[in-house]
Formats: sequence, C-alpha cells, structure tokens
Amino acid sequence: MNNEAFKQLVDAHYAPLYRFALSLARNGSDAGDLVQQTFFIWATKGHGLRELSKVKSWLFTTLYREFLRGRRRDSRSSSLEDLPAGEKEPLAEDVDRVSRIDAGAVMAALQTVDETFRAPLTLFYIEDMSYQEIATALEVPIGTVMSRLSRGKIQLRIALERVESPGAKVLPFPDTKGARAS
Amino acid sequence: MTNEEAKFILSAYRPNGSDAGDVAFSDALRMAGEDPMLVAWFARSRAHDAAIAAKLGQISPPSGLREAILAGASVSDSRKSDRRNWVWIAGLAAAAVLAVVVVSMKTPVRPDSAGAAFAGFAIGDVLNGKHGGKGEPTSALVAELETAGAKMPGSDQIDFEKLRETGCRTLSFSGHDVLEVCFLRNGALFHLYMIRRDGDLSDSVTTGPTFVTQATGAAVVWADREFDYAVASTAGVESLRKLL
Repeated sequence: MNNEAFKQLVDAHYAPLYRFALSLARNGSDAGDLVQQTFFIWATKGHGLRELSKVKSWLFTTLYREFLRGRRRDSRSSSLEDLPAGEKEPLAEDVDRVSRIDAGAVMAALQTVDETFRAPLTLFYIEDMSYQEIATALEVPIGTVMSRLSRGKIQLRIALERVESPGAKVLPFPDTKGARAS
Repeated sequence: MTNEEAKFILSAYRPNGSDAGDVAFSDALRMAGEDPMLVAWFARSRAHDAAIAAKLGQISPPSGLREAILAGASVSDSRKSDRRNWVWIAGLAAAAVLAVVVVSMKTPVRPDSAGAAFAGFAIGDVLNGKHGGKGEPTSALVAELETAGAKMPGSDQIDFEKLRETGCRTLSFSGHDVLEVCFLRNGALFHLYMIRRDGDLSDSVTTGPTFVTQATGAAVVWADREFDYAVASTAGVESLRKLL
C-alpha cells in the first residue's frame, strides 16, 4: 500500500477507532496507543488483506484483540456473562438527560459499563455497525451480540442516571449543552 | 413472540432504520407496530440510542494522533522496527505536532513543553474527564469566578490545602495534585486547573498567558509565584481571551 492510500485509510478510520479504544481503555493515553498499535500492525501485516471491504472490520477486530491482549497481561480479566439483565427501560427523561449532558459525560458513563457489554455497545453507537458486523469484529456469535447489546444498554442508562448525582449536577448550557460540575 | 422477546431483538436495531430490511427483525418490528406499549417503548429506545450516538460522535481524537500514526507507519515501512521504537517515534511526532499547533497560535509567549503538557492535560480532562467536587471553599471560588468581569484568581486568593481537604475535585498530573473547578462565564463553561509550582515543573513553565488548541478543546496556561494555572473549555480561544 502506498503512502497516499495509507493516509486515506488512516483518515477514514482513526477517529472512530480512537472512540472505540477510548471506551475500552478508559483513558486517552492508552486509547491513542491502541490506535497506533492497530495501524502499526496494519502497516506490517494488514496490507496483505485482499478484500478492501473488510478493512474496517479488520481494524476494529485487531484493536479489540490488542486491548484484550494487554488486559490479559495486566491480569484484570473477568467474566461478566452471568450478570442479570435488569429491568431498566428507557423513559422520556432518559432521552432528555442525554441531550443535556456533554459528550465527555456520555463517554464517561459508557466507560463504566462492564467491558463485555461495552465493546459491542460502542461499535453499535459509534460505528453504526449492525449486529452481524459487530459479531464479525468481536468474533462472537450473533446471539451473544444481541444479548450484550440488550444488557449493555441497561447498564448505560443506569450509568447516565448517575451522571446527575449531587456532586456532578447537570445544568442546561446555552452553547454546547455541556455538563457543569464543580 | 412475547413483548420481552421483541424488546430483546429490537435492542440490536439501529436507530437510523438501517436494519428495516433485515428479516431477523421483521416479527419484532411487526409487534412494535401493533402493541401500543411496545410502540412507545420502541420510539423511546430509538430516540435514546440516537441521542447517545450523536453525543459519542462528538468525541474527537487528540491532536497529533493522525500524524503520529503516519510517522510511525513510515518508520515501520523502512526499518521494520519493533513496537517500542515505533511508539517512541510516534510519540515524538505527536509532541512535534502539538508544538506546531501551539506555535501557530498568535500568542504573546511561546509555551514550553511543561506548559503545553499541562494545557493538554486540562483539555483532555475537559473532553474526557468526569467532573464533580464539593465544599464551601469550592463554591466560594466558583462564585468569584462567575462574577462578570472578575479577573482570574491569584495565589493570594487560593488556599490550595483547604480546597483539597474540603472536597474540591483533585486530579494528578506528573505526580502532582491538581485542583479543578468548573464555572460559567459569558454563557460558556470553563474549567480552572491549579497546580503548585515546585520541583521539576517550576523551572520551565512560562508566566505569560499562552493559548493551546487540541482536538475540540482550547486552553490558556499561565503561572504566578505559587501556582501554574490552566483554564480549558470547548468554547474556543476567543472566549478564553475574554477571561484574562
């Protein structure tokens, strides 16, 4: 792949990859490192991929694998498949709440969702991936993706409610509708 | 299919309707068009999903990441270097890009690396941090900061220990405690960060106000005899200038 093609590849995918990495790693520094590592692997191995239609999925799969590899190294893995689904359903005020708070607060809430659910949820929201595409990217069965999306959304709604705790009061904001907390 | 089963399946339905033609959703969609409770649930669920997707789409990668990726790939092509080398070089590229961004701003003082790093830390926290603090001293400081036309506080107005001990939000930067408060001024939201000038930081941070932009955020950094300060916001450099 020549330099210009590589630049186009980076321009097309580095921002959504960063958002995905940020939701997984939960800090900007590690997220940037994961994205760089993903493109590094592409530069050394991935350009052998023959089907260009699969590039996006390849990049997200590689980033996720790298994240899991790093997490195993840190011995912080946990099995969360058995968590109860919960009962929280979206209410009208949930939608209003999301509209009021800023993007950083939404990302912070997403980062509190259990990692098992967070990865598919992020691809669903950030990359607008279908459940089949998520299954391919994360290398899990379709039914598992549906289950994780359902449970992850419940956790995210609960996390977003917590954004409005007394220590982090959310107020309407004229310019960016951002969260305000002191 | 029960309502609960339909909800489970429709949780994977994308809010923009891209999945309308997918047969896996057809039964659940049919139910969602007939049962009034399910209709209302599905509308709220899609609105909620759309709102979250829109918010998350506003998150921008840090300035310099793209250049770091390109620089790193270029090196890996020519030298097949190992990952540590590559990331190190990419880090240098990112630092260089940040410096270029900083220098390109028409500012009175060129920031040093410590100042730029502190600004980058503040912007990163504004974009990604989880804010929250408490305590009367914090509230008093916020009230001062929100007074129209008031200047930014100096070291004689900051009781660092008292603020920290009474619940002011405290972060860590290069091993130093940083206090942060949020305030509204001129209709925009700002975040003030304060760090003690001591040790390795104090030698290099410039005293003049210096503006830095990174991703969708901007910050101004300055220092007095006791503290380094940064004010960061997503409201732009001009709004920061008006504070000083």
